[in-house]
Amino acid sequence: MAASFARTARLASLSLDKLGVVVVALLAIGTASPFAVFRANRIVAGDAKFFFAALPAPAAALFALVVFAAAGVALLRTSASARLATAVVLGVAVAMLIGVAADHLTPAGDRYARIAPAAGFWVLAFADSILFADSVVRLKFGPVRRVLALALGLAAFALALSSGVWSELSILKEYASRADVFWREAGAHLVLAVGSLAAAVAVGLPLGILIVRKRGLRAPALNTLNAIQTIPSIALFGILIGPLGWISVHVPGAAALGIHGIGAAPAFLALFLYSLLPMAANTVVGLEGVPRDVVDAARGMGMSGFQRLFSVELPLALPVILTGVRIVLVQNIGLATIAALIGGGGFGVFVFGGLGQTAPDLILLGALPTVLLAFAAAIVLDATVEFVSGAPP
Amino acid sequence: MIAIEGLRKVYGSDVAVDEVSMIIEAGTITVIVGASGSGKSTLMRMINRLVEPTSGRVWIDGKDTAELPVHELRRRIGYAIQNHGLFPHRTVAQNVATVPTLLGWDRNRIAARVEALLRLFQLDPSTFARRYPHELSGGQQQRVGVARALAAEPKLLLMDEPFGALDPLIRAKAQDDLKAIQRQLSTTILLVTHDMEEAIRLGDRIAVMDNGKLLQYAPPAEILVHPATPFVGELIGVGDRPFRLLSLETAAQEVEPGEAEGAVVAADADLRDVLAELLWSRRAAAPVAGRDGRVIGRVTLARLIERAGTPT
Repeated sequence: MAASFARTARLASLSLDKLGVVVVALLAIGTASPFAVFRANRIVAGDAKFFFAALPAPAAALFALVVFAAAGVALLRTSASARLATAVVLGVAVAMLIGVAADHLTPAGDRYARIAPAAGFWVLAFADSILFADSVVRLKFGPVRRVLALALGLAAFALALSSGVWSELSILKEYASRADVFWREAGAHLVLAVGSLAAAVAVGLPLGILIVRKRGLRAPALNTLNAIQTIPSIALFGILIGPLGWISVHVPGAAALGIHGIGAAPAFLALFLYSLLPMAANTVVGLEGVPRDVVDAARGMGMSGFQRLFSVELPLALPVILTGVRIVLVQNIGLATIAALIGGGGFGVFVFGGLGQTAPDLILLGALPTVLLAFAAAIVLDATVEFVSGAPP
Repeated sequence: MIAIEGLRKVYGSDVAVDEVSMIIEAGTITVIVGASGSGKSTLMRMINRLVEPTSGRVWIDGKDTAELPVHELRRRIGYAIQNHGLFPHRTVAQNVATVPTLLGWDRNRIAARVEALLRLFQLDPSTFARRYPHELSGGQQQRVGVARALAAEPKLLLMDEPFGALDPLIRAKAQDDLKAIQRQLSTTILLVTHDMEEAIRLGDRIAVMDNGKLLQYAPPAEILVHPATPFVGELIGVGDRPFRLLSLETAAQEVEPGEAEGAVVAADADLRDVLAELLWSRRAAAPVAGRDGRVIGRVTLARLIERAGTPT
């Protein structure tokens, strides 16, 4: 009996974590795939290097050790905080080591060689992000702690960038040769994404309020916005060229404001139009979700329409409306990439430039900041929604 | 005093309320009873103009309500509903302070009023004032709802199925509390319910509605003894009639000189409870004791039988 008890206990301590199995499988695939790609210049085909070839021997050993240890922690039923610590260590190690690989693989004095992360690196990063996200969920991080974690992560990222560990990486070489353009396009990207969001809030919120109050307007308004949503973005740009071009020529001052058939104006307008549906629809859903009893009591106690709206209905609908803002912001950060197609600027300039030159590093220079921005926006707004709906539920 | 005159509400071809006229005396509890769809809520909601009448008038203390600005009218009338309708994002104190705030009372007056009301409803302000509605039990939420309705000291309180969401034990207690508070403040209460038991328990007068029409408007005893239509009779329930009639009177009202064996009954116990006690203990009479515990006489089974019905 004692023996069987001991065996059960041993089995329990050795029992596997289900998600950990997936993480370990990914770690195995990542380790067995090329870690970095060496190219003699930015457009020729690459030469994939496995981690033991990409890294100097001590670093390769460290790499193997960290990955192996992380796999152990992930596979067994370990505490959530141990898993989080492991994810952080693994993440930092992989991020640092790709810089080391770039240094190691670049022949001394060679200004044309390009070293980029290869499939193995991305799979490892993916595995690490699963381990990280899972442990954050298990630890039940509240909204404030999640935003703090994001801030810490971004600070570490900025520190790594400025420390120069990654300076031999291809993407940073692309950046180095066009730093001023990068920041200009980053600004343009933000103006497009955030500006169109602001415009959509300014129009969509009142529109949502209006169609909740005037039921007859609801179907026509939402159907129109739905129809706009179904137009492919490139087609919408095309449709806007005509009217905006006409306005630019015929309305005094329009051209001076930057309104033209192509460029930032139609991109801004398109993003704005796409944003209207989520904003208006979420406002409607939020307001309709306010319990009937509460609205009835507010009316019965003599609140005016405005008092009811601002002190009861909007506060109670706020979480749903903010969810709309989150959808729109993340959507717009991604969609703003397309603006480059019609000369609207933004990170898409690098993506489409890279596609044109078959320079994958340049594509990454546009794509990675876009992903990072969308990711950060999602975390911050999710936390805000939770914070707003969590304080007094 | 509230005078309702030829009040009518028509939705398309549906007549929700059909030519209802009634007078509600100040300082009384009037209960409107009816099945769902009988128009009872619509009738009540026309008084604070949550529903605008198709025709007819409502006068409160001689003033035609149609001539008052609607928000002003509603702020002067208390309003409590089923499921309380408390604002989930506001604390108990903020909820109770709603109408006084709308009326622009100064801060100290509001704070004092909120505190007094919470005490009146047996909710300790230091515990409950800062809580949110979801942190309260159903009975506490209901009390906060009524406290909020009474916050601006309205002369008239409208209540739409205020106890509908409570379980039976808490409901009985809430009904007793409401009656006690009403006697204390002498607020005029108009209460809507589908529950005849509740109507008889609370109402000084009962208005029975069906299909938008006011079938009978009378004190409970009269409704029990002389139902105006077969429908009213059905609503009372033939089997429950004698017991409901007994429930309207207390032992004190039927006490007679003499002695009796066994446990005493309280003078303010209603006769239905006294009957139950006599039947259970197989006695023909029981001594009646006043508040001070002194026996003031007895109540007999024979007397109860006499009071429980009417010779036909």
